[in-house]
Amino acid sequence: MSGYTANQATTAQDASGIDINARAVNYTCGDCDGDVQLKRGEPIRCRNCGHRVLYKKRTNRMVQFEAR
Amino acid sequence: MVGKKEPPKPKPKAAPRGAKAKAATAATTKSGPSGYDAEAVAQKDGKRALAEDVVGAIPTAADDGAHTSAADKARRHKAPLNSSANEFAAMLEPFYYGKHLTDPINTAEDKWNLLPAFLKTKGLVKQHVDSYNHFVDVELKKMLKANRYVRSDTDPKFLLEYTDIRVLQPNRAEEDDLPEGHRSSVTPNECRLRDMTYAAPILVDIIYTRGGQKIQKRGVKIGRMPIMLKSNKCVLSGRNDREMAVMDECPLDPGGYFITRGQEKVILVQEQLNKNRIIVESAKGLMQASVTSSTHERRTKTYVIQKKGLIYLRHNTLSEEVPIVFVLKALGVHSDKEIMLLVAGDDSAYQENFQVNFDACAREGIHTQERALEYIGHRIKLMKKPGGMRMRNYHLEAIENLSNVILPHVPVAGTNFRPKAIYVALMARKVIMAHLDSKLVDDRDYVGNKRLELSGQMLALLFEDHFKRFNHDFKLSIDKVLKKQNRAQEFDALAHFGVHKNYITMGLERAIATGNWSLKRFKMERAGVTHVLSRLSFIAALGMMTRISSQFEKTRKVSGPRALQPSQFGMLCTSDTPEGEACGLVKNLALMTHVTTEDDEGPVHKMIFLLGAEDICSLTGEEIHREGVYAVCLNGTPVAATNTPKRFLNSFRRLRRMGRISEFTSIHINHDFHEVQIATDEGRICRPMIVVENGRSKVTARYLKALRKGTMEFEDFLTRGLVEYLDTNEENDTNIALTETEIGLYTTHLEIEPFTILGAVAGLIPYPHHNQSPRNTYQCAMGKQAIGAIAYNQFMRLDTLLYLMVYPQQPMVKTRTIELTKYDKLPAGQNATVAVMSYSGYDIEDALVLNKASCDRGFGRCQVLKKHVTALKSYANGTQDIINAAAVESGPEFGSIGPDGIAHVGARITQNDHFLMKQIPEDTINNRVGIKHKTQSVKHKLEDCSFVDKVCVTENEAGVNLIKILFRQTRRPELGDKFSSRHGQKGVCGLISPQEDMPFNDQGICPDIIMNPHGFPSRMTVGKMMELLSGKAGVLRGTLEYGTAFGGSKVVDMAQVLVEKGFSYTGKDYLTSGITGEALQFYVFFGPIYYQKLKHMVQDKMHSRARGPRAILTRQPTEGRARSGGLRLGEMERDCLIAYGASQLLLERLMLSSDAHEVDICEGCGQMGSSGQCRICDNDKGVRKLTVPYAAKLLIQELGAMNVKVTIGLEDEFERGYE
Repeated sequence: MSGYTANQATTAQDASGIDINARAVNYTCGDCDGDVQLKRGEPIRCRNCGHRVLYKKRTNRMVQFEAR
Repeated sequence: MVGKKEPPKPKPKAAPRGAKAKAATAATTKSGPSGYDAEAVAQKDGKRALAEDVVGAIPTAADDGAHTSAADKARRHKAPLNSSANEFAAMLEPFYYGKHLTDPINTAEDKWNLLPAFLKTKGLVKQHVDSYNHFVDVELKKMLKANRYVRSDTDPKFLLEYTDIRVLQPNRAEEDDLPEGHRSSVTPNECRLRDMTYAAPILVDIIYTRGGQKIQKRGVKIGRMPIMLKSNKCVLSGRNDREMAVMDECPLDPGGYFITRGQEKVILVQEQLNKNRIIVESAKGLMQASVTSSTHERRTKTYVIQKKGLIYLRHNTLSEEVPIVFVLKALGVHSDKEIMLLVAGDDSAYQENFQVNFDACAREGIHTQERALEYIGHRIKLMKKPGGMRMRNYHLEAIENLSNVILPHVPVAGTNFRPKAIYVALMARKVIMAHLDSKLVDDRDYVGNKRLELSGQMLALLFEDHFKRFNHDFKLSIDKVLKKQNRAQEFDALAHFGVHKNYITMGLERAIATGNWSLKRFKMERAGVTHVLSRLSFIAALGMMTRISSQFEKTRKVSGPRALQPSQFGMLCTSDTPEGEACGLVKNLALMTHVTTEDDEGPVHKMIFLLGAEDICSLTGEEIHREGVYAVCLNGTPVAATNTPKRFLNSFRRLRRMGRISEFTSIHINHDFHEVQIATDEGRICRPMIVVENGRSKVTARYLKALRKGTMEFEDFLTRGLVEYLDTNEENDTNIALTETEIGLYTTHLEIEPFTILGAVAGLIPYPHHNQSPRNTYQCAMGKQAIGAIAYNQFMRLDTLLYLMVYPQQPMVKTRTIELTKYDKLPAGQNATVAVMSYSGYDIEDALVLNKASCDRGFGRCQVLKKHVTALKSYANGTQDIINAAAVESGPEFGSIGPDGIAHVGARITQNDHFLMKQIPEDTINNRVGIKHKTQSVKHKLEDCSFVDKVCVTENEAGVNLIKILFRQTRRPELGDKFSSRHGQKGVCGLISPQEDMPFNDQGICPDIIMNPHGFPSRMTVGKMMELLSGKAGVLRGTLEYGTAFGGSKVVDMAQVLVEKGFSYTGKDYLTSGITGEALQFYVFFGPIYYQKLKHMVQDKMHSRARGPRAILTRQPTEGRARSGGLRLGEMERDCLIAYGASQLLLERLMLSSDAHEVDICEGCGQMGSSGQCRICDNDKGVRKLTVPYAAKLLIQELGAMNVKVTIGLEDEFERGYE
């Protein structure tokens, strides 16, 4: 049903295989909309404006909705 | 739009935007050929001027530094603030709701224009905001003045004096140490998202002694004050819609609440009996006059009671009741004659009644003030510990008690006890009068005898308590240092000052967050003062701001306080009250009410004497009570007397209309007690009314034209004396005409608009005056549960639970209140085409038949957003919770976890899917290296899938990382979902029928909802029929019709429209059956009705279980859907089965399917054994296996623990030798 089912197994293996500490994730600042790269343990703060509310970006995987 | 030239006049905004009223003098200048005008809005307080309209994408250069932070500038670049949108909005707004400048003015109809003008200046929740502003601006300074000195017990030379106190703009807690000029960019929404408290620093100026000299220190922080949204300290005050949008705030949000720890908290309005007034009541056959005195120092209640014809004074500090004559003597009324005259005047009936009281003098031999004081002194309860057994000075104690403890609100200046004597005499007089004429007993439920305690007052009480405690703690800590004679360095008290500042901050925050108001000083312990603001729908939030809770206990079965009082007219909503236990105790303010804040007594006091009244202290009892002489009472205390009360009253009112006295001062005559009552106190409910003089309304077409043009505002109507505020007491003294035609010879006032007797929530009902009244009450409860849009910033909020409608519509049949509350901008419902007919049998008992195609098109579709918060805690040993994406295992339940250990935004999460890889340390106590973490990932519990809507990572004030995940579900209506119209007619969906099977009319229109006609006769909701008719006419004509209470579109007109458009004037249509294709044998009442989808949805409630979890203790199935509990076979069901005799079924339900347990019972001792052995008999001879409910086994064991022995006697089921 969802677009996920296809590649679920592979991603799960990917995630466990790679050293997490090195991986940075992109967030969006709640104030200035700028990109914020955060690694684990870094303070949650926008580098541009100092705002402390960050949002995770939408997935780039395919999402399938059931049209009901 | 862009090139449009605006007339060089300030644009009158029809909308009461919550924004402060523009000063009438706002200068408008043309700023270029494009026609953009920069409108300088001079704020009333004159603190700053905002540039409102600025050209296109150019950053706001004219900004005066209100937004200097980098963040703000960046944001402005991002979203070019196009002023054309703003002008467009202004164009869309009708000029006073559909009227244009050139339209003729009819005073009879258009006087209601004053209402939007009123709401424009005041806003819908003005009572909260006004009260809070008064507290922060005025009350705080007064409080400081009352507690301005802090002295040390050990060092008499030390003195700390507070000179000023102020509250700054709100900021973040970490910005507290920045210099005073710093402007914080904090917004209320940031506080919501980050679970912070929206607060501002409180600063004081102090002068204190250090060494030998006085040191002056300005701007010392003593704590943080929670800021009410939209109050004058709030960053949202005076902002226009665009600026609000920049701050992620909804311009329609009413404000008036606080944000503590990320939660929106409202301090509900509390209703109380008025303070400092004499209330005469008969309790258990005794007549008594009581006064609850309330001053800053003390709160106490004093009684004057009549027992067996004798009058006594009763007070908590007196061990027994003191005869009133002794009290008066002690208060310096020497002769018996004087006492008699002061109490009874020259009325022989009163004199006769009072006479017996003098017997006590002879009996006790008390004839002088000295003796009376001694008598009272002997009866004062010892408050302090009897540590120092020094001789008590009874005289001094009595004087102290009389001047400060008994009736403390009557001032005793120096040794002038005269006002207090007059006051006590007045209380006695009222008792006698009520004794002789029972009509004079006061009504406790009368609204004029009530006061509303608002958030400002509640905070004032709280703050004063904490401030005193702060000073006390400060004093103790400096005392500790000052006690030491030789100090190494010079003592600086300031170092001790900052230590306690957290006390005030935390105290205020905790009180608001928990709702527990505990004041040690007044022994006040109140829980549930604050409530979380309900954000179910916009109207629910608004309704909460106008709610009034009563101090009455809900359990008591008294009807008086719950009944609708005639004096509530126009002040409290007649419909909006909950059903059930709180019925009538929880009330709501009507639309046009104002709750007064405290005004200074001083000027009024002066005015009384200027108007020719004589000081009451200079008069004898004979003069006070002489025929035709009226006492002038200021806030219940007699201060003067006049023999021309009517003239006094009229001149006083004239002065008030001229604006010499505050417009909220009220004056009325009480002919029963011969008093002129003037009130300036806080918490009175009042409402504006048009002044009528000489049979003419003072508001004429000319003024209304000016109002429409925008040259006059509501304030101008007040200052010109065209409109004035009347409180409940004064209302009783007036003659109010409902319409202009009713104005007669004696009319004094004219009602602005009759529909204002309803509140904001009841105002949503179209044609409420045609409904049976309980139906309106039901709708008031249901309107708060309707799913709709909650705010413009609804997608920027992260609420724990949020219901949103996907396609909300504004109602076809509006009311004026809907426009004023902006419900049409944030609606909660849809206009459904309803056929009132019977269909299929799935519509009995209020069930509705929905059209499947309508549901496909989005009817009743809603979104449910649920929030999941995880705080990454830190522990004492330095360890911390972490999110570890490496802990992901293989398997589909981990499929949506992203590289950061949190689910992807947009991912579909089904039951048992993991969405957060949280790990907690295995050891949180010991301090060692290399503590491992164990995975405690969070799974999705609901059976239905959700989508991850938003993932927010942030940090709260304490520096703890928060992860907020928002899940979204989109739901279409299903069988069992609850719907309701706006007339208290709720129903569940009984069938979703395919459109092919639905009936249709000759135009092919198919109903969205089929409603059973049996809903109408017994409920008598004629308003609903009228709504359908008006709605249908509106649809055909292309207009929105009005169903305003006591007005609205007339049925005849609507019928006329229907006829003109070729429909039946009855609203009935010819329909064809969709099933058979035949014409229906009857005409069907057919048209649009506004339907609300209520939050009760089947998906959240449906539940079943075969086997499942059990409770640990009793081993019975768990309870409730959330724990996937069992379905209880209750006591009454059990009774049925017993009566029927279905014993085996009972056994199965109550034991076998629940908590059957096998125990070993010893035949010999009747006790339970274990594994086939009896411990007591120490053998296994007579041990039998028995199945009992585990709960029974538990009970036996628990009784055993309480030293109650339970033996189980075993018997053969069949007699021995039966076979």
